[in-house]
Amino acid sequence: MTVAARNTPDAEISSSLEDYLETIYLLVQEQGFARVKDVARARDVKAASVSIALRRLAELALVRYERREYIALTPSGEQAGRRVFSRHRLLTRFFEEVLSMPAGAAGEQACAMEHSLTDDAMDRLVRFFEFLGTCPSVVESFRQCPMVQDSKRGPHVHIGQLPDSCAVCSKKKESMSMSLGDVKPGQSAVVTKINAVGALRQRLLDMGVLPDTIIEIERVGLGGDPFWVRCQGARLALRRSEANSIVVRPAD
Amino acid sequence: MFAAANTAASIVPATEIRVALAGNPNCGKTSLFNALTGARQHVANYPGVTVERRSGSCDIDDRSVSIIDLPGTYSLSSYSPEERVAQDELTATPDVVVMVADSTQLQRNLVLLAQIMQTGANPVLCLNMADEARAAGQKIDLPLMAKLLGFPVVETVGHRAQGVADLKRAIARAAAQPAGRSRLVLGELMEQALAAIRPLLPTRAEKIFASDWMAARLLAGDREYGARVQAMPGGQAALDEAKRQRERIEARAGVDIAVFVTERYFGFVDGLLREVRTQASTADARQLTDRIDAVLVHRIFGLPIFALVMYAIFWLTFKVGEVPMNWIDSGVHFLSIQVANLWPAGSPSLLRSLLVDGIIGGVGGVVVFLPNIVLLFLGLAFLEDTGYMARAAFLTDRLMHRFGLHGKSFIPMLSGFGCSVPGIMATRTLENHRDRLVTMLVLPLMSCGARLTIWMLIIPAFFPPAWRAPMLWFVYAVGIILALVLALILRKTLLRGDDAPFVMELPPYRLPTLRSVPIKMAERAGLYLRKAGTTILGISILLWAATAFPKPSSYRVDAEIAAGRIVVAATGHAPSQLTEQQVAARRAAENLEHSVAGRLGHTLEPVFRPLGFDWKIVTAMMGAFAAKEIFVAQMGIVYSIADADKGTAGLRAVLARDYSPLVALSLMLFLLVGTPCMATVVVTRRESGKWGYALLQLGGLTGIAYGLSALVFQVGRLFI
Repeated sequence: MTVAARNTPDAEISSSLEDYLETIYLLVQEQGFARVKDVARARDVKAASVSIALRRLAELALVRYERREYIALTPSGEQAGRRVFSRHRLLTRFFEEVLSMPAGAAGEQACAMEHSLTDDAMDRLVRFFEFLGTCPSVVESFRQCPMVQDSKRGPHVHIGQLPDSCAVCSKKKESMSMSLGDVKPGQSAVVTKINAVGALRQRLLDMGVLPDTIIEIERVGLGGDPFWVRCQGARLALRRSEANSIVVRPAD
Repeated sequence: MFAAANTAASIVPATEIRVALAGNPNCGKTSLFNALTGARQHVANYPGVTVERRSGSCDIDDRSVSIIDLPGTYSLSSYSPEERVAQDELTATPDVVVMVADSTQLQRNLVLLAQIMQTGANPVLCLNMADEARAAGQKIDLPLMAKLLGFPVVETVGHRAQGVADLKRAIARAAAQPAGRSRLVLGELMEQALAAIRPLLPTRAEKIFASDWMAARLLAGDREYGARVQAMPGGQAALDEAKRQRERIEARAGVDIAVFVTERYFGFVDGLLREVRTQASTADARQLTDRIDAVLVHRIFGLPIFALVMYAIFWLTFKVGEVPMNWIDSGVHFLSIQVANLWPAGSPSLLRSLLVDGIIGGVGGVVVFLPNIVLLFLGLAFLEDTGYMARAAFLTDRLMHRFGLHGKSFIPMLSGFGCSVPGIMATRTLENHRDRLVTMLVLPLMSCGARLTIWMLIIPAFFPPAWRAPMLWFVYAVGIILALVLALILRKTLLRGDDAPFVMELPPYRLPTLRSVPIKMAERAGLYLRKAGTTILGISILLWAATAFPKPSSYRVDAEIAAGRIVVAATGHAPSQLTEQQVAARRAAENLEHSVAGRLGHTLEPVFRPLGFDWKIVTAMMGAFAAKEIFVAQMGIVYSIADADKGTAGLRAVLARDYSPLVALSLMLFLLVGTPCMATVVVTRRESGKWGYALLQLGGLTGIAYGLSALVFQVGRLFI
C-alpha cells in the first residue's frame, strides 16, 4: 500500500487547508458555529485569504456555506477536521507530557508534525501513546534515566552508536542475561559485555573476546573447570570464574 | 680474519643495525630467531624484572645486525612484565622492528602490529608459518599489503628457515629506507582523540613518548604510563586532555574505552585483511589439532594420557640416559687412574690428592649426570614445542588452582624436575606476584636433576631391583604432594589475595623444530655445566681441603703395626692381616676424622641422630647445601678416602654395608625436602626481590624436612 492510496480522500489537501479544517472544526465544537471573521481571527489572517481557502474547501466538498458568513463542515469535512485535531492534540500531549517540552513549543511542534505523518505512522504512535498511558512506570523510568538527565550528552544521537543502556538498566539487563559460565559445552553465545576488570579484562580483549563476537564452549575440564572455548578461530582456556565475568546472549 | 673485518668496516661505514623481534606467543618467533642468528645468540635476564632477554646477531650484506627477541605478547599494554619489557625495548627505538605473525591467526596477531605501528617504529611484517596458511587455502597479496602498510612484508616458514633470506633483505631495506608516516586507520573518533592528545605529550629523547601509541595508552587510562607522563614537565595537560577525550568517546560510542580502543585495532586489521586476503582459508587448519585434542584432552582419558606422557619423559631421562652415563663414568674413572699413575703408588702428594680426589672426583661425579639433565630438558622442549604444555596446564589447572596455584605454575614446577634454578626463573610466566612467590617457594620440593644423582646412588644401594622404580616414583610423589599442601597453606596465610587471570591460548599442535632443539639443549647443558664447573669445582676444592686438613701428627694404624698387633701381608683377610692399600685407607680414614669436616660432622652428629644419620652423612650434607649433587661427590670423597675403591658401584656397596634401608629412606626425605641448594636460595632471593622469602624457603623447608625424617626414622624403628 502506498501512502497516496492510504490517504485517498485528503490526498490533495495541503497542510494549510488542513489547518483551516482544524480551526473550523474547533470553532464549531466550541461555539456551535464558525464565521469567516472567526476563522480569520483564530488563524490571524485576512478575511480575504480565508475566503480563498474556503472556496477551495468547498470545491472539495468539505465545507458549505449555510447562511452568509456562516460555515458548516460536510460529514467528510468534519471527519477530516477531527482527524487533524486529534493528531494535533496527541502530538502536543506527547511533546508536553512525555518529552517534557513547554506548552507553547509543544503546540508549535505538533502543528509542524501533524500534517506529515501517514495514517499508519499515526496509528502506531497512538497505540504507543495508549501503551504509555496504561504503563506510567515506563515514562517514569524514562524521566529518571541518568542518560536522559545527562545534559552534557548534547542533543545529537548518532545512528549506529546508540548506547547499550544506562547504568540503571544495564544492571537490570545483566540480571536477566546469562554469563558464559552458564553456557553448556557444545553451545555458542554472543558476547554482550565484559565485566572483568584490570589485567583479566585487557587479556580477554587482546584475545579477541569483544562485544558481538561469538564464543563456543568446546569442552570443559574434569569437574567443570576450566573452560575450553573457541573465539575468533583461536582456542582459549579460561577458568569458570573468568567465564562468569563475560556476559553473553544465546547465539541466533 | 680480524684485519679483513676491519677493512670491511672501513669500506662500509654503516653502523650496526639493531633489530627487535616482536610477536604473539606461539607465533614461531623463537625458531625464526634461531634461523636468523644460528648459534650466535645468548640468553640473559632483564635487570630488575624476571623475563629472559634473548639476543643474538647475524650479518646482512657485510653489515652486522644485532637482534633482540622480545618476549611474546598479545598487546603492548602494561599488565604483565613481558609486556612492560617489550614496551621498554621498543622505547629504546631499534632501527627495525620485525613483527612476526602467525599466518593462520592473522586477525589476532596483527592487532599487535597496529600497536607497533603506533609507536612510530620502523616495522617489517613477517608472515610466519606461511606453509600452514597456504595449505589451508589462504592467499595473501603481499605486494598490495606492503603498499597499503608502507613497509616490507615477507612470508617465512621459521622452523624450516624458509624465507629467511627474504626477511634479511627486507630488514636491510627497511633500515636503509625507514617507513614514512604510519598508515594506521583507526576511525574518526579515535583519531580525533589522538590528535588532541598528541601535541600535549611532553617531548622526550625517546620518541615513543610523543607517539600515537602513548596518546592511545593515556586515552585508555593506562596507569603505569599515566604516572610516567605525569612526572614529566607538562605531562598533566596531556593527562587532562586524555581524560576529556575518554569521556567524550565513552559518551558518544557508549562503550567503555578499553573495549572501544581494542575494537578500533581489530577494525583496522579486519579492513586490511579484507583488502589483501584474496582467498580466506578454505580448509580448517585446526582440523588435525581438533582431532588430536579429542583424544589428548579427553574428559576421562586426558589425565591418564598426561600421566603416561610424563612417565615416558622420565623413562627417556633415566633409562635411556643410563647409556651415555656409563660412558662418562668409565671416562672419568679412566682419567682419575691416569692422573693418579703420574705419581708412584701410595704417594702422599697433596697435588695428586687434590686432582684425583678433589677435582676429578667432585666434578666428574657431577658431569656424569649431564645426560639426565639434557634428556629431561629435551622432553620438556618437546612438550613445549608441540603445544602439549598448554594442554597440560588446562588439564592440571583445576588441581593446581585448588592448591592456590595456577595452571601456569605447572610448567615451572615441571621444569623444577630438571633443576630448581631454571624452574624458579620460569615462574616469570606468572603475571601475579603472589602466584609467582608461592610457586617459587615450594618449587624446590620438585625433585631436581641434581637430586636424581642422589637417588641413583642410594636407591640401587638399598632396594632390590623390583623396588627401585616404585621408590623413585615415591620420592617424586612425596615432593609433589608436599609442594601442593605447602602452597595451599601459603596461599591461605602469608600470601593471600586474588587470582591472576588464567586465560591462556591453546595453540595448534606443531611438530617440534629439529633446528631449535639442539640450541635449547646446548643452552641448558651449558647452564648446568657452568654451575658444575664453577660453583661445584670451587666447593669441591674447599671440601677437599676441609677433609684433608688438619692432618693428624701420627696414625693409630701405624702405632698398631709397630706394636705388632697388625701384620702387613699380600692378602688381607683376617682383621689382623692388612694389605698395603688397606693400611693406606685406614690412615686416610683417620685423617678424615681429624679434619675440619670430620670434626664438624662429629659435632653435629647428635643433632641428626634422631634421623638416623652418622657424622659421615652429616659431613656430606654440608656439601649438599652448597649444591645437591655435591652430596654424591662428597660421599665419594669421604669413602674414597676410607676405601681405595672408586666409582658409584663401589660406593653403593659401602653404603649398603654401613646403613639400613630405613636410614636411606630418612636420608632421601631429608635431601628431598630440606636445604634447597645455595643456587636455589640465591635465585629465589633475586626473583622474589627479598632475602626474607629466600630465608623463609631455606628455614621452612629444612625444618619440615627435619621433622619428617625424624618421624619416619623413629616410627620405622618400631617396626623394623
